[in-house]
Amino acid sequence: MATPVPGDTVPAGETYGNEPVLAIRDLSVAYRTPGGDVRAVNNMSLSLHPGEVVGLAGESGSGKSTLAYGACRLLRPPAVVTSGSVYYRGRRMAKPVDIMQLQRSELQQLRWREIAIVFQSAMNALNPVLKVEAQLLDVIHTHLKLSRADAREKAASLMDLVGIPRTRLRSYPHQLSGGMRQRVSIAMALATDPEVVIMDEPTTALDVVVQRDILAQIVELKERLSFAILFITHDLSLLLELADRIAVMYAGQLLEVARSHEIQHEPSHPYTRGLINSFPSLRGARRDLAGIPGTPPDLRNPPSGCPFRPRCGYATDACADVSMELTPVSSSTHLDHVTACPFVLPETPAPARPAAAVASGEPAVKELRS
Amino acid sequence: MTGNAAGQTGTPVGQTANGTLPPGDSAAAVVAAAIGQTEPAMEAVGISRDYKLGHGQTLHAVRDVSFGLYRGAVVALVGESGSGKSTVARLLAGQEKLTSGTIRLLGQPADVSSTRKFRGYKSEVQLVFQDPFASLNPVHTVRYHLERPVRLHQKHSGDGIKKELSALVEQVRLLPAEQFLSKYPHELSGGQRQRVSFARALAAKPSVLLADEPVSMLDVSIRLEMLNLLDDLRKRFQLALLYITHDIASARYFADEVLVMYAGEIVERGPAEDLTQQPAHPYTQLLIASAPDPDNLGSSLRRGGTRGTRPSDRPAATPTGCSFSPRCPFADDRCRAEAPALQTVTGGRQAACWHLDQAAPSLLADHPATGSPAPQQFTAQEPQPQGGGE
Repeated sequence: MATPVPGDTVPAGETYGNEPVLAIRDLSVAYRTPGGDVRAVNNMSLSLHPGEVVGLAGESGSGKSTLAYGACRLLRPPAVVTSGSVYYRGRRMAKPVDIMQLQRSELQQLRWREIAIVFQSAMNALNPVLKVEAQLLDVIHTHLKLSRADAREKAASLMDLVGIPRTRLRSYPHQLSGGMRQRVSIAMALATDPEVVIMDEPTTALDVVVQRDILAQIVELKERLSFAILFITHDLSLLLELADRIAVMYAGQLLEVARSHEIQHEPSHPYTRGLINSFPSLRGARRDLAGIPGTPPDLRNPPSGCPFRPRCGYATDACADVSMELTPVSSSTHLDHVTACPFVLPETPAPARPAAAVASGEPAVKELRS
Repeated sequence: MTGNAAGQTGTPVGQTANGTLPPGDSAAAVVAAAIGQTEPAMEAVGISRDYKLGHGQTLHAVRDVSFGLYRGAVVALVGESGSGKSTVARLLAGQEKLTSGTIRLLGQPADVSSTRKFRGYKSEVQLVFQDPFASLNPVHTVRYHLERPVRLHQKHSGDGIKKELSALVEQVRLLPAEQFLSKYPHELSGGQRQRVSFARALAAKPSVLLADEPVSMLDVSIRLEMLNLLDDLRKRFQLALLYITHDIASARYFADEVLVMYAGEIVERGPAEDLTQQPAHPYTQLLIASAPDPDNLGSSLRRGGTRGTRPSDRPAATPTGCSFSPRCPFADDRCRAEAPALQTVTGGRQAACWHLDQAAPSLLADHPATGSPAPQQFTAQEPQPQGGGE
């Protein structure tokens, strides 16, 4: 099995096993363009344990979807996986496999059967000219050996699973509400009883009330069917409530990985701190909101060292030379709290003014509507 | 449907009979009065918009909505998709015909009947759209996008226009201005594009700015900066700002007054902080309970949380009665038969609900309700018919 990396060690007594079901090791993905490679994912390592929910948080263009699709070899040129391996170890597998080394036919058996994906836009993920039943049967016949009658029964039971009346099997996607479509997508992903489900912004297009219903349903199904979830979203506040561990991504790099509780209360990396202070809270006292000045870097021409350096208020000259390796936060009691910033600790006081704001002559960012 | 107007039969227990709020009491008006603005810059009086669906069916997209926008104050319009918030913005922008009601601009009824009058109206009322990728023309530079409104709405000569363009770009902090003016939209990030949209709206020197989900397409780390910019512009130009959003948490921080819309109607309104901390209407309570909350340790999303599920298909509009009644835990026969009007709850706050005594008993502490049942706790659970979401 893959060699453990910092951040993977899970203390004994946790409900999930010690062996990760999915272990991404040093994965790099580049988009080949005439103007040079865009390094969308840089030497990233991340593990997912059985029954665990890992949140992958990042802004658009940070490479979070590229990482997930790259790990399943779902990317098409010009995207190329330039290095790394992805170990999958499922209950149904005799021994762990490296997804990057699999033959085409082996890959086909692995995808969906073992690792399923729920996409952001259910309307685009579903075929608009086929009824829901036909699409479910398609998945079932491709990946499971079932008779016609059994497959129909399976399709109907999947609808029960996600709480949609069986009569809706005869509907076309456009006849369903947004929430129902997303439920159908989830049902399709779960059709083959996969051990890993990758969810790429599954609720972003939905209203908050519906979003909460769907998330509650996902958690309930996860408890019942015990699969692991890699949950990709830009909404950190959602992950804080939902995920067991959170990995924060920025410009193709992992900046910090920790349990949700630590990300919320002891964020170490300056970017994570910035994110935590970026979203307004609905409950409790009004916090000071600061936001993060500046914009993410151009990945064709990334800054040396830490990619967050130009926007970081703590930045010094030494930041141009950091290795971006994840190391345990020395002051944290948990070994699985790792950060790419060797200089800033959770207890480091906040800087007076972010560097980018100073550079661009912007006034100090203040609290919104004090 | 103007049948929901105030003054209908029946008054909730423990409520004043007075259904309408004196305009001077709204939170936005109070803020505006503090800086010497007493008259609303724009006023919607009972505006409605119906869409004919064919087969004799009508969709009441906006029903009898009234509110005022005051210079220097922010009013947030919150609701889920399909609740009619964008239709309100288009009605106020004069891009959509009213089915009934009136819109007053600076005290005068709005008139957009001719191109000339519409242009005059536009120079006072400007709209910012949600998607900065769709609202800028990809084949034109920033300069082109800004020059047209400046020429149309301001009387400047050659040099004046040049200066005005630089000033506009600087106002939205796109620096250095000259460099940004000659850029094309594809050369800008999402946040920079939205800044151009703001600058374009400001080019007309409006008194009213209607911002329709101005930050929801942007990344989380950019949003706060954009809201700060918008807030800064509001202060600098004393804009009357309507902030339309589905994110009630941002409304808490950004707005003075919050209006909550459901199925085309305003179901609750009040000062932002009061309303978000102590929602009165069951729908507002549901909306707030559904927002992600990292501190919610008893969350149904935490490990071990289980709950019954059922499809969250939006219920068909009820032909009569309260439109929220199919999803409301407090609904009874009266709710299904009669639509409640907006009633004053406490100073500056209104809610349209027959059962505020059950939904928000603590708010009505000053008006003890007679024979009200034990207070029910509203949680993030989907509403169950009667019995509350325990």
